[in-house]
Amino acid sequence: MKSDNVYLGDLTRGIVKENPVFRLVLGMCPTLAVTVFIVNGFGMGLATTAVLIASNLVISLFRKFIPSEVRIPCFIVIIATFVTIIEMVLQAFQPVLYEALGVFVPLIVVNCIILGRAEAFASKKPVLRSLADGVGVGIGFIVALVILSTVREILGQGTILGPDPASAIHLFGANFEPMALFAQPSGAFIALGLLMGLVNVIFKRFNI
Amino acid sequence: MRNILRLSLTLVVVGVVSAALLTGMYNLTTPIIAERKEAEYRESLNCCFPDFDTFETVEIEEDKFDLLYDENGDLIGIMATAVQQGYDGDITYNLAFDGEGKIIDIIIISHTETPGVGEVITTDDFQQQFMGKSYEDPLTAGEDVDTVSGATISTSSMIGSIRRVTGVVAENFLGVESEEIDINSVPDGVYNGSAPGAGGPITVEVEISGGEITRIDILEQNETPTYYIESYPVIPEQIIANQNLDVDTKTGATISAEGIINAVRDALSGALEDGS
Repeated sequence: MKSDNVYLGDLTRGIVKENPVFRLVLGMCPTLAVTVFIVNGFGMGLATTAVLIASNLVISLFRKFIPSEVRIPCFIVIIATFVTIIEMVLQAFQPVLYEALGVFVPLIVVNCIILGRAEAFASKKPVLRSLADGVGVGIGFIVALVILSTVREILGQGTILGPDPASAIHLFGANFEPMALFAQPSGAFIALGLLMGLVNVIFKRFNI
Repeated sequence: MRNILRLSLTLVVVGVVSAALLTGMYNLTTPIIAERKEAEYRESLNCCFPDFDTFETVEIEEDKFDLLYDENGDLIGIMATAVQQGYDGDITYNLAFDGEGKIIDIIIISHTETPGVGEVITTDDFQQQFMGKSYEDPLTAGEDVDTVSGATISTSSMIGSIRRVTGVVAENFLGVESEEIDINSVPDGVYNGSAPGAGGPITVEVEISGGEITRIDILEQNETPTYYIESYPVIPEQIIANQNLDVDTKTGATISAEGIINAVRDALSGALEDGS
């Protein structure tokens, strides 16, 4: 029973208590840049999570073989390999998302969430716990990106589930002039700040 | 020493495994990506040629041409991609031709012309004047198309480029200039042919005797007199002297001269078609 709790703790810690975006403020570049549409935010979160889980798994598996002197270059190569694989897969099967995420797909390599989890967790803990940690932090990142991109898409575009016209829902009718500020990175900063404040208030209220 | 070996070995192993993984992945995804790119490209050709079945791409010097065929393998159109130096940087554009070499669409892909000035090259007003024109038209500023005042450099460079591309298309894919007529195979006789000049159709009478052109008479023409004397009798004389249609046209009377040459070509190709 106790071991179950360990895994559950590893899983949930990344989602709420140590949410990478709202609590640790890590991975800000992709967070601010791609969250213009919910689809983009979700896709970015998913791609990052896939890399995070894979790199946590592999790094934890080989943690005893990798000498600590060269651990950082090894981690980077492992992470970069997975990112490149994800990049090729996206380009082959999700070209629209690939175009939308642009340079931020290869930049997942330097997303500090991934290297941070590798260094702080996966290189020290057993495989299953590292896996649970990767899944948890990944979900936390996805949740944060989806919340932020929902706010930004509603305010900045006036739609939900855009930009694909087949799925886009226009919320405010044809005469609505969207707040272009929220489509810009500066608007992302403002939205993120407000959301962080909101998250802090809620957490304080419930003593998390 | 042992430590250094271990460190390097670890890095080597990590690098090799990573390279192997990526190579495998690359080989797996590359064909899919290429296929998708081609599908997207076909999609973009669909805008002007909704009925095409297959296409092939030909590059001639700087220009790229997509030849589009229908189900029967007949040429139904050509999409040219060309780059032209404008007023401020390169203008990349598509020129769509139908199967007869008539311009049916102009798509400016990218340009850096001055907004509000040279930008007129992207407007319908400017582009519309080219529609339906072909290698048979002069495509010359002041004759059948106009530059836009204030944007003379942008528009005249576009006109020049369109004329050039239209010529390349006619020469290479429609067999207009390159169609070598074997005069030896034309049976003896007198043949008529006509082609447009600057002032209307030019009609010629060509006499073939013993596999050679022996006489070219102009039956009908309405060219500007000062230009006409530049090309007649010079052009027919050159054709008879060289025994082929590859003669220099006179600058200043290019259209009249080419009209005469094309009329002779028309007469000879008509003769060949009747004979065979």
